[in-house]
Amino acid sequence: MITESSVWGPVQRDMADVLAGHPDDVPSVVDQLTRLQDVLTHVPPLMGSNPLADFNKLYLTITTSVLERLYAGQFADPAFLSRLDVEFAARYFDALRQWSDMSAGCPRSWMVLFHRIPGPDARPLPSAAAGINAHINYDLPFALVTTLDFQGCDPVDDSDQHRDYLQINDIFAEQIPGLRRGFLEKWQLLIDMMNGDLDDWWQGEVVEYTRNVAWRNAQRLWAVRHDLQAVSQERTRLDRTAESLGKLLLSPMGAILQ
Amino acid sequence: MASEGDDAPLVGRTGTLTSIQADLAAIGPGGTAAVFVTGESGVGKTRLLRETAEAMREAGAAVLYGACLDIGDASPLHPVLQALRQAGAHPGPGSPDASDGAGALLERVSHQLQTLAQGRQLLLVLDDLQWADRSTRQLLLYLLAGLGEINLSVLAAVRSESLHGSHPLRRVLAELRRLRSVRVLDLAPLDREATAELVAAIAGNDVVSEDADRVFKRSGGNPFVAEELARDLRDGRVELSDTLREIFLSRVDELPPHAHEVVHAVAAGVEPVEHALLARVLPLGETELIEAIRAAVAHRFVTSANDGYRLRHRVVAEVLEHEVLPAEHAARHRRYAEAIEAAPGDNDHARLVRHWQQAGEPVRALPSVIAAARAAEELYGFTEAYRYWALALSLTPEDDSARTALLGYTAESAHRCGEHQRALTTLEQLAARPDAPSKCQLHLRRARYLAAAGRAATAETEYELVLAADECTPREKATAAANLAELLVHLGRYADAGDRAREALELADGTEDSTADLVRASAALGFSLAFLQDPDAGLAIVRQAVEIAERSGHPEDIGVAYQHLAELLTNPLSSVEEGVLVARRGAEKLAAIGQGRSYQTRLLAIAANGLFRVGQWGEARKVLDDAMRHRPSGADAVDILLARCRLWVGFGEIEAANRDLDAVATILAGGGARHVLPMLTLRAGLAMWQGRHADARAAVQRGLTETRSDDLVLLGVLAWHGLRAEAEAQAGGEVPVDPAAVRRLRSIVERMARGVGDAAPQVRAVVDAYLDLCAAETSRIEQRSDPELWARSASAWDRRGQPYPAAYSRLRQAEASFARRVRKAAATMAIREAYATAQAMGAKPFAAEIVQIAGRARVTLVEAPGSAVVPERGTDELSLLTEREREVLAAVAEGLTNREIGQSLFISERTVGVHVGHIFDKLQVRTRVQASRVYLGAA
Repeated sequence: MITESSVWGPVQRDMADVLAGHPDDVPSVVDQLTRLQDVLTHVPPLMGSNPLADFNKLYLTITTSVLERLYAGQFADPAFLSRLDVEFAARYFDALRQWSDMSAGCPRSWMVLFHRIPGPDARPLPSAAAGINAHINYDLPFALVTTLDFQGCDPVDDSDQHRDYLQINDIFAEQIPGLRRGFLEKWQLLIDMMNGDLDDWWQGEVVEYTRNVAWRNAQRLWAVRHDLQAVSQERTRLDRTAESLGKLLLSPMGAILQ
Repeated sequence: MASEGDDAPLVGRTGTLTSIQADLAAIGPGGTAAVFVTGESGVGKTRLLRETAEAMREAGAAVLYGACLDIGDASPLHPVLQALRQAGAHPGPGSPDASDGAGALLERVSHQLQTLAQGRQLLLVLDDLQWADRSTRQLLLYLLAGLGEINLSVLAAVRSESLHGSHPLRRVLAELRRLRSVRVLDLAPLDREATAELVAAIAGNDVVSEDADRVFKRSGGNPFVAEELARDLRDGRVELSDTLREIFLSRVDELPPHAHEVVHAVAAGVEPVEHALLARVLPLGETELIEAIRAAVAHRFVTSANDGYRLRHRVVAEVLEHEVLPAEHAARHRRYAEAIEAAPGDNDHARLVRHWQQAGEPVRALPSVIAAARAAEELYGFTEAYRYWALALSLTPEDDSARTALLGYTAESAHRCGEHQRALTTLEQLAARPDAPSKCQLHLRRARYLAAAGRAATAETEYELVLAADECTPREKATAAANLAELLVHLGRYADAGDRAREALELADGTEDSTADLVRASAALGFSLAFLQDPDAGLAIVRQAVEIAERSGHPEDIGVAYQHLAELLTNPLSSVEEGVLVARRGAEKLAAIGQGRSYQTRLLAIAANGLFRVGQWGEARKVLDDAMRHRPSGADAVDILLARCRLWVGFGEIEAANRDLDAVATILAGGGARHVLPMLTLRAGLAMWQGRHADARAAVQRGLTETRSDDLVLLGVLAWHGLRAEAEAQAGGEVPVDPAAVRRLRSIVERMARGVGDAAPQVRAVVDAYLDLCAAETSRIEQRSDPELWARSASAWDRRGQPYPAAYSRLRQAEASFARRVRKAAATMAIREAYATAQAMGAKPFAAEIVQIAGRARVTLVEAPGSAVVPERGTDELSLLTEREREVLAAVAEGLTNREIGQSLFISERTVGVHVGHIFDKLQVRTRVQASRVYLGAA
């Protein structure tokens, strides 16, 4: 193994311990994200303010909400939604593992964000958005295809599965304004206040827009899922698109939007 | 011929090699072990496979080797059949039993594997598993689950690049890696030292360390690349190539012209490329050809084995692909296709299809495509068949009359392999053809596809269209009404189902060949009446369906009819014992015909589950042993394994329970969500007996997140398991109670209590019993365990005829009373009753807990020792009888009437009648007097 310099510095061991887990249900996904959050806030030099921690925190909050809704019986096909959540998270953990191993297989869309862990300091909103971008634009279509295949159902619009899937939009809508206020307290209070509700609009748009795109992309992938070559081409295409969008979000442009 | 002689030494993998062998040899209790090696291409997976195979062969194992092909559409089971053929076996299609042909095929393959093993350890090596088709994956899971009943180790290599997207293996490996007998090994590149060692081994020890470092940097530790770079160093190439591509292109340039051709030809072929085929593809004389091959081998591009030639590494093919002119590429494949067609004997259709396609003349592949589709169907590879049919369709122009038939095949195969969407769109294309089947036929098919896709509402509309159309025949209408009735039962719309079923019965009356519809409609009507509170009428109708099916003699109709009758009796009617009898009789009938083994398995599963419920665990075990002898596969196998595992948990056979849970998880890794929840409840139950309360809690929590909110019975099971785990944690004191988990469980219980009012009466009765259990268990968590609540739960389960939860409640009732020092006499009676039940069932861990609690309370469990002497089981005529039948016979011999027997054994008079009938059959007697004589003679 090539471990001359560890990407996680002093928390290398802790990170490896967390990433050794392969959660197979939503409660253990939440557990793993919680442990990950703790490790991420100890990554020097930015510690708690590193861009990945910003994303992870948002993702943890969202997954916790999903879990609460599952316990409350709010999904029509909870078996589908649970699997989807697990498959979805597995791809984030995979990307982290590949990054830790400095593997060539690490998706570019994630590397955009991972590269920023050591700095320069980015602002929390664009950072979280860059993570959401990689996770939704790149990971989600594949997670959907795997889950649907496993459950033996097709990606049909207006099906139980589609409606459950769209409920996640509501969760994002619920979580993001609250998180923004959380961020506001800690980060650049003044600048954010000056920008008013532009943020809400912008954040909401990105998520909703990309989630619909993810469903459409999953439908496209579904049609070619047995053709390894076609899938691999599609993977490269999605990775490149998400990478460019991620770069934009983390560029000064992202800050201007904010 | 020189083939793999000049390999570089295996560097940096000694430890890995040893541990792989150890893992493969450590066959678990399920009789299988597997190691999946993942890694990027060139990292040395194949080499590791080969070295392991050699070492194990030397150690006396039987080794079979198969490689999957990257030709898009291989034929089903390709790598395994290839491995078998190489070893001299002749696998292939051919089964008389249509209802479970796929299972029979799996069994045949396992049988052949076993024959080849000849008692040795069997190692199946599969390379490039990422290219395996769906059937191969299913076979692998079947074998690893131990269903083939052969001891087997599997060693497979998977390219990690393929696992990133949505590859089905990704999910399979994610599930399998949780099992004790499976290891997923991610093969990392070599480190700096190992790379330097490799470089020195090839280029000599005088390589300067800067050069070795350069090799390490350029290769990233990938041994394949490092090896080639080291050769460059050795051969004095000054500048190291930057990419694999450059390395190989410069090597290819150095080849003699004919050898160059050989390499390109092997790269274009489907491996292994046989010598005879290569000779036909290349326009070379024999001596020239052999010389050219020698050169290609010497330059390390090609390897040679008995079955033909292969590229040393597939990466070479990928590099060369970009260097070949399109015209060259097409010409080479055309020569292959022509050579294969010209060869004597049966064509390898999958191969031929690929070559014609690559030759740019796909239309010439059409006959082979169709042949390949048919061949795939014979091997039950419906996914592969569907892809061939779809290809055939794309090769057939709109105005070709053959298109209509192809559309029909394509739609049907898509339906059979679960491509619902494709099935429906193809059907629409079929409908648009001028010579399309009739509207009625199309509606029926559309409805069938929609129902399979879970789109019940639209399926209902399609069936109604058939019923409303004047042009549809009575036969078509009968089919529509019968299927619709069945669909409505599943949707819980019993009144509508009843109406449609009556309509179907009327239409089917007097129609030729309508047995299947009659059976389906009668079953639907029976269920609808049973749920609408006329169980006797419902029962009579389903019994009639059984008679109709038996008269028709068609195994599938017989299987379906018996299954409906058994399910009706065991579930909505709660005549469990009679349901069990019916299920067993149905299975016997089918066994006598020698067909319908899938239905036999299902019927035996119903019988075993019924026997478990009524506490006849010993008998349940016999039934399950029987069922396993049918070699079930897929979902049928999971049903049986889950039922058997439940018994092991009850008996306290921890190792066996774990083994069956692992087997279930192995099969479920291939897909299917229906069985996950029963698996989780068993996992929780097992964990509790072992004192692993946190694991039990985790299994329940997962179950709660995956259960539909309207499935109150399942929520009840889970809530009880969850609360019990917390209560046990509370009592045990080692694992702390999780207040958040308790809170969640209580809110689930509240939801059940709110929802139970709207449930059907049959569901309500079960949910109520669980609510009683949960209330009592909650009092235990709160350390105020209430004997009254437990007594209420015990009587609720008594009414349900389920002795196990009743006895459990009695134990807790007694325990609570002892703790409160109240009503000791009632408590003593309760614990003794619980003990008697536990003993009779063979529930060892439960009995042990009872003994412990009784000991603490200083209560003797058996009043007068020896009073309950179990009669010795002889090998006499009575050994044919079940325990229950022996009880009934004893009562018959006492001269009791059926009603009296029913009263004394707490079963219905009707059930006694059925038992008596079976006793007569088995003892071959015709009267009660004769039966009594046999009994008294044996006793």
